[in-house]
Amino acid sequence: MVAAAQHPNITIASYAEVERVEGFIGNFKVIIRKKARSVDENKCTGCGICWEACPSRNITSEFDEGMGKRKAIYLPFKQAVPAVPVIDREHCRYFQSGKCGICRKKCPSGAIDFKQEDEIIEKEFGAIVIATGYELFDWASVYGEYGYGQIPDVITSMQFERMNNASGPTEGEILRPSDGKRPRNIAIITCVGSRDDAKGRSYCSRVCCMYTAKHAHQILEKIPDAQVFVFYMDIRAPGKNYEEFYRRSVEEGAVYIRGRVSRIYRRGELMVVKGEDTLLGRQVEVEADLVILATAIVPSTGFQKISELTGITADKDGFFQEAHPKLRPVETNTAGVFLAGACQGPKDIPDTVAQAGSAAAKVTALFSKGEIETDPMIAEVNKANCSGCGLCLQVCPYDAITLKATKERVAGVERERNVAEVNAGLCRGCGACTTACPSGTINLKGFTNEQILSEVDAGCLGN
Amino acid sequence: MKRIGVFVCHCGTNIASKVDVRSLVESARELQDVAYAADYQFMCSEPGQKLLVNSIREHDLNRVVIASCTPRLHEETFRKAVKAAGLNPYLLEIANIREQCAWVHDDREEATRKASELVSMAVAKARNSSALDSTRIPITKSLLVIGAGIAGIQTALDVADNGYDVMLLDREPTIGGNMVKLDKTFPTLDCSA
Repeated sequence: MVAAAQHPNITIASYAEVERVEGFIGNFKVIIRKKARSVDENKCTGCGICWEACPSRNITSEFDEGMGKRKAIYLPFKQAVPAVPVIDREHCRYFQSGKCGICRKKCPSGAIDFKQEDEIIEKEFGAIVIATGYELFDWASVYGEYGYGQIPDVITSMQFERMNNASGPTEGEILRPSDGKRPRNIAIITCVGSRDDAKGRSYCSRVCCMYTAKHAHQILEKIPDAQVFVFYMDIRAPGKNYEEFYRRSVEEGAVYIRGRVSRIYRRGELMVVKGEDTLLGRQVEVEADLVILATAIVPSTGFQKISELTGITADKDGFFQEAHPKLRPVETNTAGVFLAGACQGPKDIPDTVAQAGSAAAKVTALFSKGEIETDPMIAEVNKANCSGCGLCLQVCPYDAITLKATKERVAGVERERNVAEVNAGLCRGCGACTTACPSGTINLKGFTNEQILSEVDAGCLGN
Repeated sequence: MKRIGVFVCHCGTNIASKVDVRSLVESARELQDVAYAADYQFMCSEPGQKLLVNSIREHDLNRVVIASCTPRLHEETFRKAVKAAGLNPYLLEIANIREQCAWVHDDREEATRKASELVSMAVAKARNSSALDSTRIPITKSLLVIGAGIAGIQTALDVADNGYDVMLLDREPTIGGNMVKLDKTFPTLDCSA
């Protein structure tokens, strides 16, 4: 993170969203909205006086997955990059009632700017890498058997990560959210939303078996008298040193129970986790004071917008589609747009870093050439015959056609009229325009009307 | 004058077990403007490509039809070979007689008939093809990375290290994504911040 912040060739645009993407490989024009932080990035020193002074406390921290609290002006976490806070206008007293402004009064560098507005910037890029990552499956809305999110001591693995993190809300102490007590019996349930056609997703999220093994190890390390029960469907540990890692957790004492959990319910302060052990072929019941759900990985919200902006496709689950699953894993069907990380499918950190390196290599190869050779099999307009009706514009999925005014002399009189023009960089040679053109004026080079008709004749009439 | 060469690939037994390649070559020879026709075990192999290049030169061919697998697989390979022989690479047509014929049919006689029709269609198309040239477009050497988690940060660093400008964008107030929320990471248990 810090390496990226300090790199002379990297500009960080945080709290920003892409509004529009125009153009084509090598020549994208991107409109970016930098959302108003209400803090001037150039003046702020990250000293922290503002959020110390802010009276709006007890706001649920998104970064801490609801496990911690933050102020209305806040830094998501201590090592945030950039180290510039943001004002959450919905919870800020100044924005809600016009009174307060303590942060502005206290700020020694005059960085607080309540009037700051979103900034629109326009910039040109030669390539785009999409690395929008993942979110966790919303288990609480469908898993009634796990309490629909109403039992406070049933948490997700990501919530556990925050709790277990030395810089997290409990400074790394594992505590029950309900009463702050240290748990002794901990049940972990894997495949919550993964490999579940009925309630979740059909795919395996690929990382849960491994981080669950890590969680079991960490719990046993921090709470030596703890008992850890892991309910699992299968253990999938197919990576370098992964099987060994999982075995270590088992040897350290984690009890693995092969089977699904059918119900979690409260019994006094504890929870009863009821499931089956398919290896023993019988029902099991575990009393737990903390339950961790290893929830499925799903694409980040907003994947549809990215897909629309860049013209790339997403699969049935919302993961972006690579150009070829084996041979072109980081390219997309939009030339110049590449993929890296979990936005393409669930993957762990080693695979993500490898894929990111691969995307970087593709981008570098493109940039090092300095220019691109276009595919000549694109649409071509016979300007003399084009009536300028514009039907081709409407069917073009790549916005590659425009109407352009041209001057011509007819019977000695100069006149101006519109004719279709194809942008060679944008046209992907799909041929949609050629079928829409009523006068057969647009032709796809390499698949001309004449060529296709001769093929049809040969097929139907014989050569 | 058009001089079309037809090359039928056996693809080992992938095609040859379902299509009578010899009779396919015979029927191709009868087609209008076909000056040469031959078959070979693997057209995509180096000897196969050499056969293609030498035949184009030897028989003065100015259009080429290859009856083989899908163009998605070896169109580029064959275009390069055609170019090496001095022809415009877009004067090549591929008749897909593997995925669209041999792999989906059981009856050898019928499959052979279909393959011969596919070849005659490709020959008809080739007869009307013309040389095409690509153009060159300059590019802006800077990268936009959307999303600044581990994937975005790593891509940005790698590209920036190669000397190109990168904008690393994230909708959240901080970069880092999900990764910075994690405590230690498997299997090495090192810190993720």
